[in-house]
Amino acid sequence: MMTALKGAFRSMADSAPEGAPAERPAAAPTAETTPEPASAPVTPLVEMVNVWKRFGEAPRQTVALAGVDLAIRPGEFVTLIGPSGCGKSTLFNMIAGLADTDADGAVLFKGRPQRDGELLGKVSFMPQKDLLFAWRTVIDNATLALEIEGVPRAQARARAAAMLPDFGLAGFETHYPHQLSGGMRQRVALMRTFLFERELMLLDEPFGALDALTRAMMQRWLLDLWEKHRRTVLFITHDIDEAIFLGDRVVVMTARPGRIKTVETIDLPRPRGAEVVTSPEFIEIKRRLLAIVEEESIKSFSTGGAP
Amino acid sequence: MAGRLTETLHRILPVAAGLAALLLLWEGGVWLLDVPVYVLPGPFAILGTMVDNAGPLGAAVQITLGEALAGFVIGSLLGLSIAIVLVLAPPLETALLPLVVMLNSVPSVAFVPLALIWFGLGIASKIALASLAVSFAVLLNAIQGLKRPEQEAVDLMRSFGAGRLGILWRLRLPAAMPSIVTGLRVGLARSTIAVIVAEMMGAYAGIGQVIYQATAQIDYLVVWAAVFLSSLGSLALYGLLTLIDGRLVWWR
Ligand SMILES: Nc1ncnc2c1ncn2[C@@H]1O[C@H](COP(=O)(O)OP(=O)(O)OP(=O)(O)O)[C@@H](O)[C@H]1O
Ligand SMILES: [Mg+2]
Repeated sequence: MMTALKGAFRSMADSAPEGAPAERPAAAPTAETTPEPASAPVTPLVEMVNVWKRFGEAPRQTVALAGVDLAIRPGEFVTLIGPSGCGKSTLFNMIAGLADTDADGAVLFKGRPQRDGELLGKVSFMPQKDLLFAWRTVIDNATLALEIEGVPRAQARARAAAMLPDFGLAGFETHYPHQLSGGMRQRVALMRTFLFERELMLLDEPFGALDALTRAMMQRWLLDLWEKHRRTVLFITHDIDEAIFLGDRVVVMTARPGRIKTVETIDLPRPRGAEVVTSPEFIEIKRRLLAIVEEESIKSFSTGGAP
Repeated sequence: MAGRLTETLHRILPVAAGLAALLLLWEGGVWLLDVPVYVLPGPFAILGTMVDNAGPLGAAVQITLGEALAGFVIGSLLGLSIAIVLVLAPPLETALLPLVVMLNSVPSVAFVPLALIWFGLGIASKIALASLAVSFAVLLNAIQGLKRPEQEAVDLMRSFGAGRLGILWRLRLPAAMPSIVTGLRVGLARSTIAVIVAEMMGAYAGIGQVIYQATAQIDYLVVWAAVFLSSLGSLALYGLLTLIDGRLVWWR
């Protein structure tokens, strides 16, 4: 496993510069490895069925989610956008097993309903805040999950050390979080998530704190990694470009109470290079989504705090 | 190495100079105003008495510091353990914490007569009192520190599959270290006070007892010498603690 990962990172590092992605040999068999979604009924890796979440009691109740239905197939990359406060992080908390859905709905994992924290430890979850521990160095923050899993410290550190260059953190392994920039902290948090190897990865705005250049690089890097390992990814973002560029599907949520407004399947060929974002297809999808997202954003402002 | 030495010197020199100036001013003032010894002896007379009585004073301060240190260690461990138990069992905390806060507001010296009745005039009563004083300070600060991590951080640990103990060990305890250090500092100060006061009220030995007897014999120079010596002793303990602090909060 470890050597496979290392190999993957090595070849990623090679392909990281702007070079035309079509030249990469490894990524060719996309069509064979990804079954066409409609062709066979695949059991979803994770499925939300009528998921509700209400906070507080009746008069001052906040309805965060109101009947979300969403199924995510194994190996899929799904991006989630929606106005601030529409319940995206709340949804993630439930998929990570940190919170239960209200009794009228369920989250299924590999077809089985999961309740009472059964999902804890099964999903690799990156929260919105970096939540680095001030008393741990970069490398020890990154290996936190491995340590909890019981991986011997030396081995965990070796695995993390091999990943440092790909996260732009080489030479910083013994720094403490207060010595890092916001973007670097975010990358340490991302690395911590990656080292917790699970089929399903939940990323809550992982690139939110990065500058545009680093962000574009990290997006391509993430896609590369994903194409090699086909971990299933659910990815929250506020950036429509990012959502389209990364996703097999873009899920747009309504203003609170959060529901699913539209699901847009993105047929842009993979592997996707930086130039995709200027293609007419991309622009057309963006135009469509932008209209929908804007409508919801305005709604979330005008309804203010009302549920 | 040399850099650290000069740095230390730079820190110590002004303090030493200030102290010297104060002693000189004191000595000069006493001499000029012709202050009687029973009101305020000069510092050099006190220092002389300390040297003359080095043997018995040294033995006494050794006992006192030993008791204070033993009480400090026992009280810290006790306070920390109870804090951990209370944080791991929230219902227990809800029930007991108000009681702890209430008891903490009673000065520990109020328990001196009880301690003397229960544990006798020997060192046991002093150590028990010091432990009591220290444990409250450490307990309250530790609880505050252990509960400092935000829910999101706890959730992150849970999502990695960590249990209560894992969260305690990898998140709560390290996060609590700065608070615990504060508790230790407060506790150490309380510990020496408790021991000396208890010794004054009933003991076979110790600096508190020396002060008590010298006062009874109207030997003001010995009283002052003992007070000087116990101050120096507490300072030494405090210095020791500062050394440990850096290890407990290693990441700053
Ligand atoms: N523990 C809670 N108690 C009460 N209300 C909550 C709680 N958690 C979230 N909410 C409310 O639920 C709604 C959804 O919050 P959530 O954090 O999921 O939004 P979000 O879509 O992630 O927003 P953002 O894009 O700004 O991160 C918000 O209105 C929030 O105030
Ligand atoms: Mg959020």
